[in-house]
Amino acid sequence: MQAVILAAGEGRRVRPLTWSRPKAMIPVANRPIIAYTIDALVTNGIRDIIVVVGYRKEHVTRFLNQLDLPIEVVIQEKQLGTAHALQQAESQIKGDFLLLPGDNYIDAQSVAKIKEIKNAVLVKEHPNPSNFGVITVRDGRVDSIVEKPDHATSFLVSTGIYSLPTDFFQYVRGNDVTEAISCMIENGIDVHAVTADDWQDAIYPWDLIRLNQRLLRHMPATREGTSSRHATIQGPTHIGKGTTIGPNTVISGPVIIGNDCTIGPNCCILPNTSIGSRVTIEPLSLIGNTILMDDTSIASHSRIMDSVIGERCVLADHISTGTTEGFLEIEGKPTHSHFGAILGDNVTCGSFARFRNGIVGNNATLEGNRVVSSRIIPDDTMVI
Amino acid sequence: MCGIIAYIGRRQAAPLILEGLKKLEYRGYDSFGIATLESNLEIEKHKGRISEYSGALRLRGTIGIGHTRWATHGIPNDINAHPHVDCTNRIAVVHNGIIENFAELKKALTARGHTFRSETDTEIVAHLIEERYWKGTDLLSAVRSILPILKGSYALLIIAAGSDCLIAARNGSPLVIGIGDNEYFAASDMTPVLDYTERAVFLEDGDTACLTKNGIEIYRDMCRVDRPVELIDWSPEEVRKGGFAHFMLKEIYEQPQAFFNTLRCVDKHTLPSFVYKFSSLTVVACGSSYHTGLIFKYLLEEACGIPVRVDVASEFRYFHPPLEGLLIGITQSGETADTLTALRLARKHNCQTLAITNVLGSSASRVADATLFMRAGPEISVAATKSFIAQLAILMQIIDARSDGMFENILQHAHQAIEEVLLMDLSAAVDLCRNAKSIFYIGRGPFYPVALEGALKMKEISYIHAEGYAAGELKHGPFALLSPDTPVIAICTPGETYGVMVSNIKEIKARGAPVIAFGDEGDLELSDIVDLFIPLPKTHSFIGVLTIIVALQILAYRTAVALDRDIDKPRNLAKSVTVE
Repeated sequence: MQAVILAAGEGRRVRPLTWSRPKAMIPVANRPIIAYTIDALVTNGIRDIIVVVGYRKEHVTRFLNQLDLPIEVVIQEKQLGTAHALQQAESQIKGDFLLLPGDNYIDAQSVAKIKEIKNAVLVKEHPNPSNFGVITVRDGRVDSIVEKPDHATSFLVSTGIYSLPTDFFQYVRGNDVTEAISCMIENGIDVHAVTADDWQDAIYPWDLIRLNQRLLRHMPATREGTSSRHATIQGPTHIGKGTTIGPNTVISGPVIIGNDCTIGPNCCILPNTSIGSRVTIEPLSLIGNTILMDDTSIASHSRIMDSVIGERCVLADHISTGTTEGFLEIEGKPTHSHFGAILGDNVTCGSFARFRNGIVGNNATLEGNRVVSSRIIPDDTMVI
Repeated sequence: MCGIIAYIGRRQAAPLILEGLKKLEYRGYDSFGIATLESNLEIEKHKGRISEYSGALRLRGTIGIGHTRWATHGIPNDINAHPHVDCTNRIAVVHNGIIENFAELKKALTARGHTFRSETDTEIVAHLIEERYWKGTDLLSAVRSILPILKGSYALLIIAAGSDCLIAARNGSPLVIGIGDNEYFAASDMTPVLDYTERAVFLEDGDTACLTKNGIEIYRDMCRVDRPVELIDWSPEEVRKGGFAHFMLKEIYEQPQAFFNTLRCVDKHTLPSFVYKFSSLTVVACGSSYHTGLIFKYLLEEACGIPVRVDVASEFRYFHPPLEGLLIGITQSGETADTLTALRLARKHNCQTLAITNVLGSSASRVADATLFMRAGPEISVAATKSFIAQLAILMQIIDARSDGMFENILQHAHQAIEEVLLMDLSAAVDLCRNAKSIFYIGRGPFYPVALEGALKMKEISYIHAEGYAAGELKHGPFALLSPDTPVIAICTPGETYGVMVSNIKEIKARGAPVIAFGDEGDLELSDIVDLFIPLPKTHSFIGVLTIIVALQILAYRTAVALDRDIDKPRNLAKSVTVE
């Protein structure tokens, strides 16, 4: 069986994290999201994989080339929608196939369920259905499917994972796959609804924190670096090559730490934290429930909780994040959010800065003592 | 130049050799040919590129040789394409290298009644073997008896009707033997063989190997010798385009990794001890590698005060100052003939020699006292990109070692700066360059060789005439060429060269030439005076060199794409220049 993974879209609602990479390439638990989708397919013996790339295509392609199995790469020049993306791969498709988004997490078991059934969609209940294709089901078959409705009629949403027949392309009308599915149903073809076991999407950047918690559960716990014998490491913890953990540092897993990091002494890493490679965390800092990407450094006496910090950020001492609720305007819509800080790539931040539900764009510079509270600071800004 | 490959084993040889030749195409691509042995020799050869050949091969047999050509003797056509045969059509030869005494040998052979079909130097080998092979000897001894007659460089692969072995001989041109399960390969490098095996034997100069279905035997000076079997750690994936439009683009995007890996593998503990001791230094290289040598000169002389002499390898032997201290030869392939000659010359003068190369087991690593390998992975595109960055990684590591770790922190995060450049949008600059007749690149200090390299990349792949100049030199002549059709690309980063660069740019603007400037982000003074300002992240000058190189590579690549050029195989060029 073949599988097509869509990884062409930017994921605008996850900005600023998608400036240098599409959403599918955002590292969660130190691996790009798309890697988990590929894992789920390979576990099910599906090795004939086609990936549609578009936004920052070279970065995705470069990553795919590093994988062990050969992956076919297809380019979507303009991001016009999911069905259009799929059409780019039409000539490569030889039989029934699976269609998956590259920027969601799906477990291997759900893939096993759907690959057995012809014409099926994987569905899951979601508390905020209007961000997805909303589905109504009758007798295990899809009755209707509506993409991102203003008023959802059910809590059941499409995960974007479909098992499709070869002749699917003749139903494609608009630019989205959901429209084509509606067209199939109108033509009297049964589309089965299969419930997913475990599926998670990150719509907004703060959703990545939850996705990170989820993915850390299955992380392999191996320790390669050097840690002081006065450090306390408990719970499943992965420590990469060349990383040093200083004395009196406390790490309570699940935690993943990449290669060549320097942590401590006297640091505290709380559960559900992913730390990339070449990260420096200076003494007396506390990190928890957070994604820290590669090459970031955090100076002493900082407290980073419930946050996502991009690559190459330089954070000075005494920086704190307070997890608060608020509303942020994302793509023109006021959106409820609840987190500490989201920082893009290359953010420089002075001492004593505080973040409460604040987003800072790429290459932004913050002077010391600033408070970012329920605010979005755009890319390349200097806050004095 | 030229790529050769041979197969002996249980499979049909022709399709396998055809695939292999496609991977060797970067070594030459003006014509190709294959010969296989069924009961008689079967040969097909064509002018043109192998990747564009769509016809079917009707060659049978499980022994075969193939060749893709970069013309040296005789124009590229069907007749001059290898393999070449003797008068009786029983012996087929492919050859990489140049046989220097071919004219006299050809005269003698013609006098003895041989008929020559091609203008190549290779054909004499077939006729020479013909004379010996008929005297009741086997093919191996026939070949070994004629090799002493040949002067020059060669890697030869020979098959003959009536013999079930395949002979490989090497002297001065690269040749590797790949060892599979009851099948054997011989090729110019490992790239075509990787799909089948990762075990290889590197032949040394003067070696002759006899490959049969059951094994290989290597001879040198009439004695049987053993050569170690080495494991190659490249994966075949690395030599595929893997979804990128061109190898060059793939290699550009692999540069952060190439830099980082090289830096990790060539750390202070693995540098040979004499790197810490030398008090004078000569760097010899060709093409892009010569430019890395120049950059090294500027950076090392400033950081450590050690005088560095940098020479183009092909001219090196005509200079006669006393040779002393350390000589570094830089060559991506490890087979560049001129650089090898320079390394040998240095050894003759009792100089210590250090080779910097990307290919394990290449000639350079055998000639030099010590070798530092770049970890760039195989580079297929003719225009050097990631090997350039990897060479700089090694040279910067040497500077760091000689200045007691002053730059360690800067180098640690350098690959991230390259990553940032890969995200830049250069379409406005491409629009300015694509219709230009000539482009001038200018820079000062370490950015002068950067300008040279930028210009080289541009002319290599886009075929637009481009020249790099030290900014001060432009006034001494080239100014006469400035016009609105000749964009000038200026590298103008803060530092001691900044003020004078800005005044140079103003002088150029006054002559009406459009200026594209690369500078630090937020430089308002500069962005006001130039036509197009391309901001780069603010960094140390070491990293500035790297980021601007990468930006100029991308500019050349995008311009060539806009002009629809053949990027991975530019006309008239070949990847490694193994002839002098």
